[in-house]
Amino acid sequence: MSDAVSRLRRLTALILKGFLLLGTALSLVTVLLIIAYITRDALPFFKLRGPGELFTSTAWYPSGHPPEFGALAILVGSGLVTLGSILVAVPLGIAAAIALSDILPYRLRQTVKPVIEILAAIPSVAYGFFALVIFAPLLQNRGGSLLAIALWLIALPLGLLLIFVVTDAATRSIRADVALTARLILAAVLAVILVRGLLALSAKLTLLRIASGTNALNVSIILGIMALPTIISVAEDSLQAAGRELREGSYALGATRAETLFKVVIPAAGSGIIAAVILGVMRAVGETMVVWMASGNAAQIPSPWFNFLSPVRTLTATIAGDMGEADQVTGSGRYHVLFALALCLLLTSFVANLASEWVLRRQQRKLGGLK
Amino acid sequence: MNLGSRKLFDRSLTGVSIMAIILMSLSLLVLLGPIFSRGLGAFIFRATSEHRRLLLEQFNRGDAEEIAAETRAVAGARRPVYEMLEKFKKELATMEYPRRQGFRAELKEVKNLLRELLGPLPGEPEGVMLRQQYGQTRWDRARIKLEQILYSEQWDYSDTRSMGKKILVPRQRSFAGTQLEPLFPYLKNNLDKMLRPRLVFYWRFLSDVSMNSHFFGGIWPEILGTIYLTLGAMIFAIPFGIIAAIYLSEFASGGRLVSLLRVCISTLAGVPSIVFGLFGLAFFINTLHLSNSKSVLAGSATLALLILPTIIRSAEEALKAVPHTYKEAALSLGASQLRMVLTVLLPAALPGILTGIIISMGRAAGETAPIIFTAAVSVGQPLKIWETLSQPTPALPWNIYNLATEHQAVDEIRHVQFGMVLTLVLLVLLLNLAAIMIRARISKKMRG
Repeated sequence: MSDAVSRLRRLTALILKGFLLLGTALSLVTVLLIIAYITRDALPFFKLRGPGELFTSTAWYPSGHPPEFGALAILVGSGLVTLGSILVAVPLGIAAAIALSDILPYRLRQTVKPVIEILAAIPSVAYGFFALVIFAPLLQNRGGSLLAIALWLIALPLGLLLIFVVTDAATRSIRADVALTARLILAAVLAVILVRGLLALSAKLTLLRIASGTNALNVSIILGIMALPTIISVAEDSLQAAGRELREGSYALGATRAETLFKVVIPAAGSGIIAAVILGVMRAVGETMVVWMASGNAAQIPSPWFNFLSPVRTLTATIAGDMGEADQVTGSGRYHVLFALALCLLLTSFVANLASEWVLRRQQRKLGGLK
Repeated sequence: MNLGSRKLFDRSLTGVSIMAIILMSLSLLVLLGPIFSRGLGAFIFRATSEHRRLLLEQFNRGDAEEIAAETRAVAGARRPVYEMLEKFKKELATMEYPRRQGFRAELKEVKNLLRELLGPLPGEPEGVMLRQQYGQTRWDRARIKLEQILYSEQWDYSDTRSMGKKILVPRQRSFAGTQLEPLFPYLKNNLDKMLRPRLVFYWRFLSDVSMNSHFFGGIWPEILGTIYLTLGAMIFAIPFGIIAAIYLSEFASGGRLVSLLRVCISTLAGVPSIVFGLFGLAFFINTLHLSNSKSVLAGSATLALLILPTIIRSAEEALKAVPHTYKEAALSLGASQLRMVLTVLLPAALPGILTGIIISMGRAAGETAPIIFTAAVSVGQPLKIWETLSQPTPALPWNIYNLATEHQAVDEIRHVQFGMVLTLVLLVLLLNLAAIMIRARISKKMRG
């Protein structure tokens, strides 16, 4: 082949590569533009009002005379809803990921996977509609009894398991022939206490009157379900990535499946699970439609702060709801304060994303070293 | 721990994790159940004669003669109602003042409800709004209106400890002894003759424009808007997505730049959708002036940025799944890298790339937050294709929100809301089903 032709070839390859790189750089450009434009429109707010008011005051009257921009209650609302969705999604998601990676047989796994995909695919506005039109009236009218049923379903099995563990630990040092009787007596006493306590608590819950079904609890549950697919798929991937050899080694030493999971697999896949939780939580933090439709949108700090039955307002819902009124009136505090809130949201998502990236990469290195 | 407890522990872990799977599947059922069952109500319902009259007069559909005959028959069944009203009016004039005054407010209420149930009363001018010209078009809504006529709602606040209690008082009792008393049993027994409910399959719900802010008609403008927005987003996102995927899987040689790009892609995937909306407003509309205010173009561009990471990732995975031997064979035959990519790599990875594209189409169709400030309006006509460059559009996700929260009569158009949700969910699910089927075919091919 002549020199000229090969040079030409190299040149076209280079041009091609440059062209592709240019196309790829769109993501970089977009990220930079997003940061630039959100910051550009957020800065005037801080110039106008200073940073103090936004984070310390709870008076949110952006269209008042004079306007007040205290977003503390909104930040607390976002935090509360996020906490609630973590409480729903993390245990469920990790348990489901364990089931998918280690417990269910292959065939069942293949039928469960589409369920997760559908949960992920359903548009957020459909979740929001469900929360507002079906779930909220249900909570309002039958909320107390629903909570009582949920309490029994969750607390009874876990409580019984706890009793078993406690009795086992308490009677370990006693002579074997006495131990069995002691265990039975202790277990019976504890079980009676547990059931009594649950009965009292559920009686109280049944009498509970929920003033409005559009509250933090409603949104937390729905957001928790929405975050499930992310948590499950990332956590399952990292559980799978822990590999067969680790598991087989543990089984060979006589460990049960639960022991293998808790003492070998989860420590090895731990950082992946943390990344899964971070990504799932970010889905809940950034979600707009569900909270806008079903959180009640009251800019107040619930009292006490963990009162999930009171309506709350979140960052995303505030941006979505208030921009309509302030639409495109650049220069007004009302417009720029929403960009300031968006900047908070954006920074949170950046930090969370970088953290999950870092954690996942660390796991890859760790597992790579093991092999 | 002894062996028994270890075993129990193991079993309970199995139990808990299977419970989690069951709970997840159950929540999917609980979510989709009402959406499907009540959403179908927008398509299949018992339509009254008012529905058929509306279709004839507004959409020019149906047999004119048959409907005219039906209207006459229905009017015959309704005549006694109006006669009773007339008689009562005369009786009212003979009553002394305080008693008359007492009846007046309730009579007004009954008349209003009757207007809503059966359409304008005879001899009255027709209202300007379409909703004032027709009675209830749906039998289920008509039954609710009938209940409201038969019973008036009152609140009992005597128990100060709890919120007020609702009591239903039969109106027949408050009109006892007057000429209007027989109206209530007559309405109750003859409503089907006055409205003639018939089961219909109103598939045109999908292709009719909405009338009088969704009181009647269908959801075509919203569907068309969603299609425009989705396709627009795909037009922007697909080329860039595939280019980026080719670069990352074939040409990137590690190094700082590539890892920076990867971080950017995952960062972009994590940006909350509402922030995309604000960015679209600040950048595409306020800075670039793609359009004067909201437009389909600006909305599509915003959505495209949102789905770009999804497309890149899935396309990259599909490209990486193509066996090395394919590429090596092509290169060893003397093909240039560009030629190899275009003629060997892309065709082989096409089904996988398609899967990602279809899934992100579903995502783009269902996203609401990015289009709130950039593209969506509540009321609008179906757009022509060139109008998408400058005009905003109604879209399914936005109008679901809007009708469910901001509409003037939220409760009366529940069926439209559910119909919209069902349409959107079905659209997204069908797209996903297509993706799942393509993927199944790929994996079969790979194995075979």
